[in-house]
Amino acid sequence: MADSDISDNEPTTRTLLRRVLDTEAPRTPRRRQSTRAGVQRTPLGTPFSMRLRSQTKTTAGRQPHRARSIGRLAHIQTRGQLKEQTPRTLLENILLTAPESSMVMPESAVKPVPAPQVVQFSRRESSPGSLELQLPELNAPTTLAPGRLTSGRRKKRLRLSEFQQGMDQGLPLSQGPVTEPPGNTGASSLSSSLNLTFATPLLPQSVQRPGLARRPPTRRAVDVGIFLQDLQDTSVATALPGDRTPVATLPTDTVLEDTQPFSQPLIGRSPSVHHSLPYPSLSAERTVSRRTRSSGPGLQNNSPGKPAQLLAGKAEEVDALAMGFPNTSSSTSGEDGVEPLLGGVGEEVEERMEESMSLSEVKEAAGAQASARAEEPEAHTEVAEAEGSWGAIEEKEPEGSSRDKDTEGRTARPELASSTPEFPRARQLEFLEPAPPTSTAVLSSEPLEPLSARLPTRVQTARPRLRQDSYKMGLSHYAKLFSFYAKMPMEKKALEMVEKCLDKYFQRLCDDLDVFAAHAGRKTVRLEDLELLMRRQGLVTDRVSLHVLVEQHLPLEYRQLLIPCAFSGNTVFPAQ
Amino acid sequence: MEAEKEGAEEQQGLFYRQRLKAAVHYTVGCLCEEVASDKEVQLSRQTIAAISEVTFRQCESFAKDLEMFARHAKRSTINTEDVKLLARRSNSLLKYITEKSEEFNVERKTKKKKKLEDENKDSLEPAEAGGVGSEN
Repeated sequence: MADSDISDNEPTTRTLLRRVLDTEAPRTPRRRQSTRAGVQRTPLGTPFSMRLRSQTKTTAGRQPHRARSIGRLAHIQTRGQLKEQTPRTLLENILLTAPESSMVMPESAVKPVPAPQVVQFSRRESSPGSLELQLPELNAPTTLAPGRLTSGRRKKRLRLSEFQQGMDQGLPLSQGPVTEPPGNTGASSLSSSLNLTFATPLLPQSVQRPGLARRPPTRRAVDVGIFLQDLQDTSVATALPGDRTPVATLPTDTVLEDTQPFSQPLIGRSPSVHHSLPYPSLSAERTVSRRTRSSGPGLQNNSPGKPAQLLAGKAEEVDALAMGFPNTSSSTSGEDGVEPLLGGVGEEVEERMEESMSLSEVKEAAGAQASARAEEPEAHTEVAEAEGSWGAIEEKEPEGSSRDKDTEGRTARPELASSTPEFPRARQLEFLEPAPPTSTAVLSSEPLEPLSARLPTRVQTARPRLRQDSYKMGLSHYAKLFSFYAKMPMEKKALEMVEKCLDKYFQRLCDDLDVFAAHAGRKTVRLEDLELLMRRQGLVTDRVSLHVLVEQHLPLEYRQLLIPCAFSGNTVFPAQ
Repeated sequence: MEAEKEGAEEQQGLFYRQRLKAAVHYTVGCLCEEVASDKEVQLSRQTIAAISEVTFRQCESFAKDLEMFARHAKRSTINTEDVKLLARRSNSLLKYITEKSEEFNVERKTKKKKKLEDENKDSLEPAEAGGVGSEN
């Protein structure tokens, strides 16, 4: 078509031409016509996709619409012809008359008109992401339903207008049944492209979260969710400690990613934000909200898992998942262990929290309960260990930030639930203290002093076993990663050595965090400690700051927890 | 003008750095000779040069770490605590440092006590002298 558009890749040449024609300042009569035409086209465009998607068929009432739309099209066309032969008019005619893509069916002059309109609409209305989707799909749908092509363009047009109206009014799309597939191949392709735009329905409408466009591909979230579900099912079935799937941060292929700073997003916006990250958030929530005993094991599982995950935060998604097993298992046990300590205080709080969290946590609770019970006596030290090990993963920043968030969130929660503020803090301290050998020290730390007596007695027995199971599972996961990246077959002994080294490495990282916190006269590990650690590792330099790393590697949900964003309504998240 | 000044400063900085490196190299060489005679092994010149280079770079890293640690503890002066944190990796070194620092503290305390005692005596003597004098 037009040479000018050849350079453009994403939009079709047709759309580009259309755009050019519409936007350029035409001589007056043209202008009015083009704008009007554009306006008229857009309503036609929307219903196409709607119809196709819903794939329902409606019958009555289309024809009057069709007639109207056809009339409109004819009107547009005639107008174009009346003008003098300028390049613009030529282009417009081309657009109007030439087929959008290879057409299966023979086309009348009218047919192509809705196609450009549809394209135009899709171009205008869809988000950039959907626009990209249009192109590859343009040709694919043509083969989809050749039989459909014959029927109702008319109906299609109806639907477009209906859909347009529905969109304007915010009605659900389902109302417009997709009756007939687009008559033209072009139309069908366009509609299919429109379908594609609908594939991401929320994108254009979610103004509040502009960053969604930059989210990692949704498939990941789905995979994680499904995977976790499966894991939970299996864990429920098998009730093995190690089977628990970690709530896991979204698996990341890269090493440095994923923090799980989920502490308290739950307060305000978490449900929507964390929807894509169900488990990590759930676990986080759980840790904050002590579940009651009944639902406790599952929840408890999560809560320790949450801090563990928080620590792991940056761990690669795969790592997180793998580690999630031990985390969840350890967390459950840890939770259980901790529960008796805080049981008296926490129950009320837990109940309240539970109610607030119930939705998100139900899933985890169900899965976790079985595993949690099995691991009840697990010491939270194991959890701490696991957390420590997870946390040791390269980017520790989320740990610090997550810890901070945890403290914030936890304190917020109790406030919400009007529970004792020390309760969550104690928990946080418990979970965040990395080294297992320092578990007793942890226990004796601030709020835990009165409770420490109970915990060791409960935990001591099962602690070593839990540590082995969950911790080793995480390490073995890392070892597998190692062997993958080595691209060579590896001996078992070599893998064992790798595990040993990883073990020592993580221990050291957690000890360092501990020491740094003590160096600053604190008992809680904070973001500054983590940043110091990363600085020593060379990840954070004078040129690369922590914020930069966060922005580079974390998905939006996590990033929001670390780097405050301003939301509408004068709210800053996370609250500071 | 400013660029020239900066260039000159850089030159001086480089100069200074070279002198430092030479000093480190010399010291490392002396130490290596001692070790060689002690263990009865030979150390080649390249080895000594490599060791001195490593030492120099490690000192740079230590300095940065010390500064970071001090800043982390919200201080502007590097403390013995920072040094101990730096040396925590090697147990023997850490022990040594802590012992030395304790000795140092003890010394300081005794010195302080002595000073205080001296001051007290000084203040007492004139009083006594005055008293004696008054008696007389």
